[in-house]
Amino acid sequence: MPVISLQNLKKSYKLGDNTVHALRGASLDIEAGEFVTITGPSGSGKSTLMHILGCLDRPTDGKYLLNDRDVSNLSRDELAAIRNKQIGFVFQGFNLLPRTTAVENVEVPLLYSRPAMPAIERRKLALAALKSMGLEERAHHHPSQLSGGQQQRVAIARALVNQPSLILADEPTGNLDTKTSIEVMRILQELRERRAITIVLITHEPDIAAYGTRIISVRDGAIVSDKPNDPTPALEHVAEVEAPRMAANGI
Amino acid sequence: MIPLRQFLQLALQALLRNRMQTGLAVLGMAVGVGALVTSVALGRGAQDAIADQLRAAGANVIVVTAGNYMAAHKVIKDDIVEGRADPNPLDLLFPNSGLRKVSWHPASLSGGLLQAVGGAQGRLQKVHFEDDPFAKHDHPTAAQRLGDAMAGLGSAATLTREDAAAIRKIPGVQYVVSGVHNNSRVFIAGHRDEKWFTRMHGTEADLPEIRTGWVFPHGRFLNPNEVEGKEQVMALGQIVSDHLFGPKVNPVGKIVFLWNQPFKVVGLIGSRSWAQQPAVGDDEFDAVYVPVTTVNHLLDLSKLNNITITTKSVGQTTQVAKEIGDLLRKRHKIADGMPADFTVKTQAEQVIGKGLSPELAYAVGGNAKSMDQLTIAKLSGSLERANRTMLGLLAGVATVSLLVGGIGVMNLLLLSVTQRTREVGLRMAVGARRSDVAVQFVLEAMLLSVAGGLVGVLAGVLASGSLERFFKWSADISSMSAVMAVVVAAVIGMVFGVYPARRAAQLDPIEALRHE
Ligand SMILES: Nc1ncnc2c1ncn2[C@@H]1O[C@H](COP(=O)(O)OP(=O)(O)O)[C@@H](O)[C@H]1O
Ligand SMILES: [Mg+2]
Repeated sequence: MPVISLQNLKKSYKLGDNTVHALRGASLDIEAGEFVTITGPSGSGKSTLMHILGCLDRPTDGKYLLNDRDVSNLSRDELAAIRNKQIGFVFQGFNLLPRTTAVENVEVPLLYSRPAMPAIERRKLALAALKSMGLEERAHHHPSQLSGGQQQRVAIARALVNQPSLILADEPTGNLDTKTSIEVMRILQELRERRAITIVLITHEPDIAAYGTRIISVRDGAIVSDKPNDPTPALEHVAEVEAPRMAANGI
Repeated sequence: MIPLRQFLQLALQALLRNRMQTGLAVLGMAVGVGALVTSVALGRGAQDAIADQLRAAGANVIVVTAGNYMAAHKVIKDDIVEGRADPNPLDLLFPNSGLRKVSWHPASLSGGLLQAVGGAQGRLQKVHFEDDPFAKHDHPTAAQRLGDAMAGLGSAATLTREDAAAIRKIPGVQYVVSGVHNNSRVFIAGHRDEKWFTRMHGTEADLPEIRTGWVFPHGRFLNPNEVEGKEQVMALGQIVSDHLFGPKVNPVGKIVFLWNQPFKVVGLIGSRSWAQQPAVGDDEFDAVYVPVTTVNHLLDLSKLNNITITTKSVGQTTQVAKEIGDLLRKRHKIADGMPADFTVKTQAEQVIGKGLSPELAYAVGGNAKSMDQLTIAKLSGSLERANRTMLGLLAGVATVSLLVGGIGVMNLLLLSVTQRTREVGLRMAVGARRSDVAVQFVLEAMLLSVAGGLVGVLAGVLASGSLERFFKWSADISSMSAVMAVVVAAVIGMVFGVYPARRAAQLDPIEALRHE
């Protein structure tokens, strides 16, 4: 049973007299435990696809089955509940709440869980998620006191805190340097390998796309290629990047 | 359903993030609520002041007088109409009025007045004309010279202290004071020949509660023990004291002789108001006050000339006066339809009567019941009008000031929604429903306005307190109005928070997340 099943999915926007076809009939199945990267030039419809996959938007036509349930025509509040329980988002700009500690940021999805969760329980789950990202020391720091990589790890902890089956990441490394980007990719690879979480990641960089187990290329709102990939192992990659720098520093 | 405490905490955090704007919005609300609280306090104070003045004017005073001068008057009138040869009472009642015959002729009175005067039913036994309470005597009246029965009052002078005790039990009655009055001569030891001719009031300890215009420059009024114990003690009116001891002398502790009996002076009575200066011949300050029990004991009297009653509120006066009349008729066993042997009058009607021409005064006296109602209706009518004006003013001030506060709250929230669009988008992306977002903003609005409300109540209390203290305005803050002000503030916050909250809730998460 696929986690995601798209059947001739279309999305168009009406702009005055013009109709922009952002998605022109995409069909694909994503199985549990896959790490799918979607690439394509700017304006090709990657984000539109991501928004529909993330239940932030509804398709104009076609069907979207998430965990075998048709979510194409659910109400806004029903979609909100699905986002809360089944999907974790990682954004390019982190989207952490400013002047709010890391642990409080991680707790945000838990606030909207139904039935309501006691404060102690929320705190416990949020700290556990931070710990899995190696940030237990930083739990009470504000985002402004954290590096970009640390901020993105807090955001990943937030995406994980409700134990979703699917993580959607839109250009998660867009604001990070190469080394930090590889660290983030390593984290995502580990999530797939150790917890069997399905990951869909959007990027326009071929290097980043290469960390996935399957690469889909999109152009003008249509899927132009869909190939399995032998993922670049991020762990070794970190070492490769680190070694010359450590040498340069005389370590 | 929603974790309210967490949402409140979030709202508080959000507000504290924008301390400056939050402070200004709270201030706006505080000004509104403060104005509301202050004006309500001043309004209530003004109402109390009006009611106090009405009470001070004696609008709540009822006087029961022994005898029925209305009936007596009818006899006199009939005598004239029938051309009896009795001495013309006008000579005695209005010695210098120049009204003789001309104005007294029935033809010169309007029909309505005549009806009022002639309204009393039945002929009564003849009553001595000197006992008409409308007349002011500078000599002892027949009753005082001759005693009740000999004066022709007969069974009319039937008021007793038992009647007074019974009246005291009527609901709405505040103070009851029995009185006997006499014109008497007083002197001090060694000056037996320098007598001062004055008014003697036998009375009770509560009289100063009724005579609210009194002050005691020295000493005090008679106390209940002295009244109970029939003691020979006396409170002196200012005029009497000035004549016996000289001005600016403290008479307390000195002895004054009345009926050749020594009375110890316990206090000096002066006037609180410059409008009512003690004068020779007046009934209040050219007078001495002794316990009614002492008078009854020394003179071997059991009757009272009058009973003075005050009611707790002006509005009750007419009703209580009627109940007193019914009670006394029952106690005196007067059959229905028969004239009473006493007269119940309210101060209001006496006040009206004072300003009227003699003919009208009689008419008023003859038609006392409806006149009383008219007067009270007029008084309470103007009170009500004053209240309504005040309330209208308050409603205006409150509406405007709360509107201003509410707009301030809305302004801050709209700003906040714009500033926090990305936050709203993020919250929606991770599962916040539209209602969750709306509730959070409404809570912020309510927190703001309740904080403003609390500060405003404090400011209002301080403001009305200082107005009262430094400007002598009367203000009355009730804890109820303080609580109401905070509740009103919360409601205003909720109402003005709804629009920004709706705007936040209707944001599209994708658009919101893209917002810079
Ligand atoms: N809300 C919208 N209204 C109108 N056109 C849109 C909207 N969102 C996206 N588009 C259009 O749809 C196309 C795909 O956009 P997008 O999915 O953001 O591409 P990508 O993420 O690959 O750069 C673009 O032509 C874009 O202009
Ligand atoms: Mg995009």
